[in-house]
Amino acid sequence: MDSAQLARGSFFILPLFLLGLMVIPGSRLVKVVLSIIAAFVITWLLATSLNAGVFTYVASFSTMAMIYAILSLGLNSQWGMSGHVNFGIAAFFSIGAFTSALVTTTMPEGVLASYSAQAFGLGMPYLVGILVAGIVSAILGWLVAIPVLRLRADFLAIATLGIAEIIRLIFQNERWLANGPQPLRGIPQPWLCLVKQPNCSWEPQWLVDWLSPLGARDYSFVNFLIVAVLLAVIYLLLERISNSPWGRMQRAIRDEEQSAAMSGKAVTYFRIQSFVIGSFIMGVGGAIYASYMVAIDYSHFLPLYATFIIWVMLMLGGSGNNKGAILGAFVIWFVWTGTETMIDWLAPALRLISDDLPSRGAYLRWMLVAVMLGAIVLFRPQGILKERKRVSDFMPRAKAGK
Amino acid sequence: MTTDNSTIATGDEPPAQERVSREGATGNSRWPLYIAIIAIFVLFWVFGAINGKSTTTMLNLTVEGIMLGGILALGSVGLTLVYGVLKFSNFAHGDMMTIGAFVAFALMQVLPGYEAIGSFSFGWGLLLAMILAAPVVAALSLGVDFALFRPLRRRGASVVLLTMASLAAMFFLRSIIYLIWGADYHFYYQGRANPAMQLPFGITIQADKLFILVLALLMVGLVWVLLERTRMGKAMRATANNPDLAQVRGINTERVIQWTWIIAGSLAALGGVMYGLASQVRPEMGFVLLLPLFAGTILGGIGSPVGAFIGAMIIGVAFQLSSAFIDPTYGPGVAFMLMILVLIVRPMGLFTMGGD
Amino acid sequence: MPLLEVNGITAGYGDSEILRDVSMTVEAGEIVSIIGPNGAGKSTLMKSVFGLLHPKTGSIRFDGHDITHREPYQIVELGMCYVPQVANVFTELTVEENLEMGAFLLREASLEDRKARIYDLFPRLKERRRQRAGKMSGGERQMVAMGAALMLDPKLVLMDEPSAGLSPVMVSMIFERIAEINRNDGPAMLIVEQNAKLSLAMSSRGYVLAAGENRFEGTGPGLLNDPEVGRLYLGG
Repeated sequence: MDSAQLARGSFFILPLFLLGLMVIPGSRLVKVVLSIIAAFVITWLLATSLNAGVFTYVASFSTMAMIYAILSLGLNSQWGMSGHVNFGIAAFFSIGAFTSALVTTTMPEGVLASYSAQAFGLGMPYLVGILVAGIVSAILGWLVAIPVLRLRADFLAIATLGIAEIIRLIFQNERWLANGPQPLRGIPQPWLCLVKQPNCSWEPQWLVDWLSPLGARDYSFVNFLIVAVLLAVIYLLLERISNSPWGRMQRAIRDEEQSAAMSGKAVTYFRIQSFVIGSFIMGVGGAIYASYMVAIDYSHFLPLYATFIIWVMLMLGGSGNNKGAILGAFVIWFVWTGTETMIDWLAPALRLISDDLPSRGAYLRWMLVAVMLGAIVLFRPQGILKERKRVSDFMPRAKAGK
Repeated sequence: MTTDNSTIATGDEPPAQERVSREGATGNSRWPLYIAIIAIFVLFWVFGAINGKSTTTMLNLTVEGIMLGGILALGSVGLTLVYGVLKFSNFAHGDMMTIGAFVAFALMQVLPGYEAIGSFSFGWGLLLAMILAAPVVAALSLGVDFALFRPLRRRGASVVLLTMASLAAMFFLRSIIYLIWGADYHFYYQGRANPAMQLPFGITIQADKLFILVLALLMVGLVWVLLERTRMGKAMRATANNPDLAQVRGINTERVIQWTWIIAGSLAALGGVMYGLASQVRPEMGFVLLLPLFAGTILGGIGSPVGAFIGAMIIGVAFQLSSAFIDPTYGPGVAFMLMILVLIVRPMGLFTMGGD
Repeated sequence: MPLLEVNGITAGYGDSEILRDVSMTVEAGEIVSIIGPNGAGKSTLMKSVFGLLHPKTGSIRFDGHDITHREPYQIVELGMCYVPQVANVFTELTVEENLEMGAFLLREASLEDRKARIYDLFPRLKERRRQRAGKMSGGERQMVAMGAALMLDPKLVLMDEPSAGLSPVMVSMIFERIAEINRNDGPAMLIVEQNAKLSLAMSSRGYVLAAGENRFEGTGPGLLNDPEVGRLYLGG
């Protein structure tokens, strides 16, 4: 048994255990026991059956899917819980990413300063970056929500689409802010020292020994573990919120069940709160993404990747259901990355239609995702996993009143 | 089995309550909005002067803005009609314009009439291609409606689901554009000079842009006549105003919806071609216009074609005037700010139609 | 054969059943009232007859055609018109345009004769024909709505609460007009009314609905004088 593979695998145990807790039914004890067993068994299977390259790919694929899951959870607390139509996820995603990048990096010095510009670089720790990213994004959400949320649902869609475009234009053009059209590089990766010399100062000797077969290129596993824990924390918090009286109130307002009993002002206030919470989570997602990518620029936040695909994830997984949001993120990210390879295979067939088509194969994926969203809206607007304890569907009740 | 009385009451007469509350909301005055718009123009003009722009420059920017307004109007009039009759924001509208521009581009390659007419930069070929692109885009939007929006309508889907479907349509249409034409920029007339004409007060303007304005005026006039004078036009207004009553009066509302798409699609094609002529033809061109289009539509009052025309003009002028003192890339941002201002001051816009 | 024949229909929204096994008929040229307490399903019956709501069971025949599953615009074509209780005019259209929309199904170039007849019936509308209907009073709107429904020369007019929200003077004026329209080979009328006494007084027959079911039926005067109907549904 390869000690490097086992060391890699050890990063999978906790995430798999958490996943087990989430999906295995039964009493608490059964859950915990089965989850522990499953986590170890699956980890062992992965570590023995996969080679290092594929194993690394699984880790980094899952990390990206989990980042999308966080964004999807953020959207769920806006759309699923309160019915807000946010077509500008990219705005909150990107402002979170750039904020945390600015908070965690240090100002470029020496030669670097001549070709990389940024407004400031505070060199703060990872978690501070995440928190500040969430707060800045929440403030943006609050600013957008105030004028628009009391109006029709599709005005919010228009306004958020607009804010996303403007924020992207700012990051694209303002070089002083975050290096403009050039990537902002060198975003720190937390706990890189686990797999890279020198070792972390807090690291006990047994851990140093255990991880000694790993090198910097195995960082994906460390990041995978960190993102999994963050996702679990966000999921638990959202489940708490959604089952609280506050969450029930949100759903009641969404379904227009108690709005008559409340003043319009209070309703708007409640609706703004859930929008701000969603914005916060999206900002956190952005921060995690920035550190995962190490270098980011405006082109990462085009509407397709940063808004549209997240909608497809949530709608497929199940609006109003946090598990659905996570499931949808994994499924769509799998389809999205999987079809890339598929289109490469299809290249000869595509060439028969037109010589240009193989080079444009990527756009077939656009089309596929667009068709998927259309089909979901048409045939299964509630998604794979239905909302629990749902009072009413998003579909109005049989055109009442007509 | 007994039936709950309150359920029946909701089933029988909810419109009464809705109507009262909506009508109450329209009591708002238009004046704050007028004043805000005038103040913004004055402010923009002053900012321009502070940035050392001469009056002639500002005047020229205003004229340019009116021309841009013409392009926007071709889009926003269709957008507002769709909104009025179908009651949702069609996010795919910008991409319908893009498709129009590309279809005309493709048609021009096979059509004669490349030589320029008079002082315009375009020839008969472009006009012909534009006229042929209109039914293509109209047919395409009918197709999207048939496959996507109609089934949703039939099952009484909410506005948000329809809006989301239009987002799917937007990405679908754009993927088609990318698949057929790729990501490159194209010009209708590569490298052809388009000299500006001299007008009084130091205004210089290209003949093409005058054409755009005249076309926009003509089309908006046509739409107005159609809505006010023809049977189908009146039925469209009636359906926008009160779709249930329209059915009661024997109006086939599905037919009305089809005509709405035909008009909106055709106008979008014309707008796309004109935008392509004024700048270049590229896959993201319509998406760039989407925000100004919505801004113009909301400013004018959703559902009102005349309002959409005036709203588009205001947005166009504000867009160009702002370039005197901020980076023109932020034009959409200016449009956005104006839109937010309208939503704060008077969400129903300058004119209102529909929404009973 | 009756002009309209409703045979044991059950109807409602979604899973709820508001009407259960309701039957009724209207003969050509007669005025029939449907009365009953709030929530008895009177408006639902109207909507089912007019195709705005399709019954789950039972059938509806009109003028020799089975219209159970037809759409409103097809039913209008057969000669039935409907005056809804609320939102019964196009507020953004002028009075004249509202009348024209009443005759939307006619492809005639000129509707002048038909409009002139409506203006004779409601002279007030002629004065205001260029005015937007949304700017008119409740009574005037009711006239516009009735006028639009009469543009097609229908065989049957359904009226949902024509007196709702009107002043007493306006109510008696509207009922006079209904009687006038019905006279001299005019259309049959099916009226749902809260103001049951007034409406039964001018009806040839009436039906009492309660909790979604047929409860009583009889001639207009007969129901008016029926002590039990009086006690339960006519307020003493």
